[in-house]
Amino acid sequence: MGIDAAVLQLRRGDLAALSTLIARYQNRVYRYLMRLVRQPAEAEDLFQQTWLRVAEKIRSYDPERNFDAWLFTLARNLAFDHLRRIQPSSLDEPVDDNAPEETRLSRLATSDPGPRDQLLAGERARHLAAALETLPVIYREVLSLRFEEEMKIEEIADVLGTPLSTVKSRLRRGLEQLRRTIEASYGKAK
Amino acid sequence: MNGIDEHAQIREQLPLFVAGALDPQTEAQITRHVASCPTCAAELERWQLISGGLRRLPTPQPSPSLVARTHTAVAEQIAERAEQRQNRTVLILLVCFSWIVTIAGWPLFRFITGGVLSLLDIRFHQAWLVFASVSGLTWLAGGSAAVLLSARRQQERRFAL
Repeated sequence: MGIDAAVLQLRRGDLAALSTLIARYQNRVYRYLMRLVRQPAEAEDLFQQTWLRVAEKIRSYDPERNFDAWLFTLARNLAFDHLRRIQPSSLDEPVDDNAPEETRLSRLATSDPGPRDQLLAGERARHLAAALETLPVIYREVLSLRFEEEMKIEEIADVLGTPLSTVKSRLRRGLEQLRRTIEASYGKAK
Repeated sequence: MNGIDEHAQIREQLPLFVAGALDPQTEAQITRHVASCPTCAAELERWQLISGGLRRLPTPQPSPSLVARTHTAVAEQIAERAEQRQNRTVLILLVCFSWIVTIAGWPLFRFITGGVLSLLDIRFHQAWLVFASVSGLTWLAGGSAAVLLSARRQQERRFAL
């Protein structure tokens, strides 16, 4: 059963369609929620709430809209409501403490080894995951949506409800901050 | 544009380049540049290691019990909503029927009890009070029964979980 057909059948209350959708999206939705809230217990609770919300709102879903974006928007709204309750400051846009010009110039001059070696082995991949967790949530989510969910920039903008320029800006800053974190950790490890 | 400016501009775009977030023209410009610039090519390689690493991060997976619980919870919600919709429809039909019976019952009530009421010397407004009281009590009894039945069904559903 395709996604469109499953969505239409779920609108009619067909439980088999629900099974299809959960089976298709369970790993992606759970991974996205884990990237946002980082705690398995919270992600599990939000996972369940997300699918309850899907069942509740499926009649108002516009079939012309991308289902992935709609589903991830529901998950995101629940996760951000949760984060807003437990840690409001975590949703603030971080101040860019490293001037871009300085970063660019220092990169032009730098000959330090990059994160290549860290990323070659599985252990180093875990290091990357740990570095990702240290980023502010607004960067974690765009990196996850782009690189793990492989969403287009337009789809990410749809999920976030922000302009394309904001998505690009967060992608750039997120990657730069991730790289700085990895390089700083690598330097300390040496 | 001097050489350093060009390198700086290219490097500034590399994070978005590996994220696939640039327009085709800029992408082509960067591709041409790194083909002839080993330093920027090495920088690009570093960004590609990060982007590649992000794409290959281990995926945390929900436990089968979580999926099963979720499925059960959603199925119950769907069933509950369907029942609520059905109850609402039945309630609307019953209310309409009751009003029709009530309104149509007044002439019938007068016709049947007119003689008896005149014998008892009950006037028109008193007859209306009797009719209204009987109708009100009937509605109250019906409403109470509906509420009690609904509460019992909800209790049964909770015990069934």
